[in-house]
Amino acid sequence: MSNDSPNILVASDLHKSYGRGPARNYVLRGLDLTVRRGEFLAVMGPSGCGKSTLLHVLGLITPPDSGRIVLNGGEVPSAERGRNLLRRRHIGLVFQRFNLIGVLSAADNVAIWLRVRGLSPNGRILPLLEELGIAHLSDRKPSEMSVGEQQRVAVARAIAHEPDLLLADEPTGSLDSANAAALLELLRDLNRRRGQTTVMITHSPEAAACADRVAHMKDGRLLP
Amino acid sequence: MGWLPLANILHHKLRSALSALGIGIAVCMLITLTGLSRGSLFEVAQRWESVDADLIVLPRGWGDNASDKSGSGLPDRYAAKIAAEMGDKVRRVVAVFTWQIKLAGQDQMSVGVDGEAWQTLSGGKRITQGRLFDPQGKFDRWLRDKLLRGGQGDGQVLELTEQDLCDPQHNGLEMVIDSRLASAGGYRLGQTVFTANHHWQIVGIVQAGAMARVFLPRATAQYLFGNGDMTRSTLMFVKLADGLDPGPAARAIAKLTGQDVVPLARYRGMLMEKFGIMFTYVDAVNVVALVIAFLFIMVTLYTMVLQRTREIAILKSAGASNLFLARQVAAESMMLTGLGAAAGVGLSFLAARAIQAARPLLTVTITWKWIAIAFAAALIGALASTIYPAWRAGRVDMAEVLSLE
Repeated sequence: MSNDSPNILVASDLHKSYGRGPARNYVLRGLDLTVRRGEFLAVMGPSGCGKSTLLHVLGLITPPDSGRIVLNGGEVPSAERGRNLLRRRHIGLVFQRFNLIGVLSAADNVAIWLRVRGLSPNGRILPLLEELGIAHLSDRKPSEMSVGEQQRVAVARAIAHEPDLLLADEPTGSLDSANAAALLELLRDLNRRRGQTTVMITHSPEAAACADRVAHMKDGRLLP
Repeated sequence: MGWLPLANILHHKLRSALSALGIGIAVCMLITLTGLSRGSLFEVAQRWESVDADLIVLPRGWGDNASDKSGSGLPDRYAAKIAAEMGDKVRRVVAVFTWQIKLAGQDQMSVGVDGEAWQTLSGGKRITQGRLFDPQGKFDRWLRDKLLRGGQGDGQVLELTEQDLCDPQHNGLEMVIDSRLASAGGYRLGQTVFTANHHWQIVGIVQAGAMARVFLPRATAQYLFGNGDMTRSTLMFVKLADGLDPGPAARAIAKLTGQDVVPLARYRGMLMEKFGIMFTYVDAVNVVALVIAFLFIMVTLYTMVLQRTREIAILKSAGASNLFLARQVAAESMMLTGLGAAAGVGLSFLAARAIQAARPLLTVTITWKWIAIAFAAALIGALASTIYPAWRAGRVDMAEVLSLE
C-alpha cells in the first residue's frame, strides 16, 4: 500500500484485552476498521464497548494483543520506539478533559506540542490560533479560559503539526450544548477546509450526526 | 525547551524556593566551612611566611613541625655560633620565644622578640599606634645585670616580683598587638590587660599580617615562661645571603648545631600536616550536607513526577521520548540548583561577614576556586538526583493514565 492509497488507516483483526486469567477482559475482539483519507468518522457505542480502547490502539498509545494496523501506507511496528515515532508524525489527539498543561499559556501549550515533535513553533502558533478564532487566548493559562475555549486550544494543539489523522475521544463530553455545538462545527470545518481526516469517539448522536460516516461498536467489534 | 520547567518552577513558588534554599544552604556550608577552615589556617601560614627569613632552626627531636612549638628549647648561643661559622652565607639569625597566652577570649601565640629583630618578624607591617616595647633594651639589660649581680650563671632561676618587672624605669611587661586582635578584644593603646598572671601594658598596635598577633620583649617571655631561664629560646629564624640555596645551608646549620633545620617555605606544609585532618572533617560535613540537599531535591523531583503523571502522559501521547522527559526533569533540577547555588554563594558572603563580626580573629576566605567547586558539585548532584525521577517519568503508563479520564 502506498501513500497515495485512499485509506489513511486500515486496522485488521484487532484484539485487545486487560487482566489475567479468569479476570481477563477482552475489550477488542477481532475489530476491523478502514478510515479513508479526508473522512470524518464517528464511532458510537454504549459505555464499556471498547471505544476508548479502540482510540488508544488506533492512536498507537497502546499496542493491540494481535492484529495489524497500517497507517499512511506503512505497517505499524510492535516496538514502542517505532510506534512513538509514527504517533509523533502522523497522529493528533483530542481528549475529553482537554489535558492542557496548566502552567503554560495557550500558545505555549501548542508550542510544546510542536517541540515534542521536533518542530519549531516559530511563526506557526498565532496563525493557527487565529484560524481557530482563539488568538485572543494566546497568553492565557487554562485556568483563565472557559471549558469551550480550553477544548478549542486542545484542538489547536492536536492539529498544530498537521497530522494525517486526528483522533478525538469524546471531545464534547465535558462541554455544555452550546460549546459542544461550536466544537463540532470547528471539527467539521477543519475536515472540510483542510481535509483533516478525523475519527471521533462519541456516545452522542448529535455529535455523530456531524460525521460523514458513523460506525457502531458493540462488544469489541464494529457492527456491519 | 526550558519554558515548561521554568513555568513549573514559577507556578510552585514556595516549593521551588524551599528546594533552592536546601541547595543554597548546602552550597553556603561548603563555601563557608571551607573558607573558614582553610582561611584561618592559611592566614596563620601567610603571617609566618611574611617573616624575612629562609630557615627555621628547631630543637632536635621536637619534630620538624614548628607550628605548635613553644617554650625553652634552643640555646641562644647557637645564634652567635651560626653567624660566626656560616660567615657571609648568613645575613642574620633571630631567636624568638613563643608561648600561648589568652587574649580576646582565646589563646594567642605570643612571640618574644628582641627590639632589633623586629623588622624581621614584622613582615613589613607598620606600628600604626604607639611604639615597640623596650625601645632602648633597658629591661633586657636590667634583667641580665640583675642575674649577673646575683652571681647566678646561665640556666639559674631568678625570683622577681611584679613590681620588679613593671618598674617604670625598665618596664618589661609591655606588649605590641596587631590591629585585628585590638579590634576583636576592644583593646586600645595604653590599656593594661591581665593575662598569663601579669598585668601588661599595650604600648603599640601593629598592622595585621605580622608573624604573630602578640609580641613581647623576648627577655620577659624567657623569664616568665621559660622558668627564669634567660638562655634559651623556642626557635631561630635564619636569613641567608641572597641567592643561597636553602637546602645545603640548612644541612650545614643542622650539622653545626646538632639541631633540626627546616626551610621557612615548608611552614605551610607543616600546618597542613598538623591540622590537615580538620579539612577531612570539614569536607566530610560538606559532603553530608550536599547529599542531604540532593536527596531533598530528588524527593522534590520525584514528588513532581508523581503529581504530574497526567502531564507526562499527555507529553508521551504527543510522542515525547524518555529522553525528552528526562531533559525536562533535569532542566527543572538544574534551574533549581542554579538558583540555589547562586543564593548559596550570596549566603556564604553574608555568613562570612557574620562570622567575622562575631569572631573577628577567624578568617573566612571565599575563593573563586571553591565557588566553582561548589557550583560543580551542586550541578553534578542535581544531575544525579534527576536520574530516578526521570526514570519514573519515563515509566508513566500513558494508556493507564489516559484511561482514567
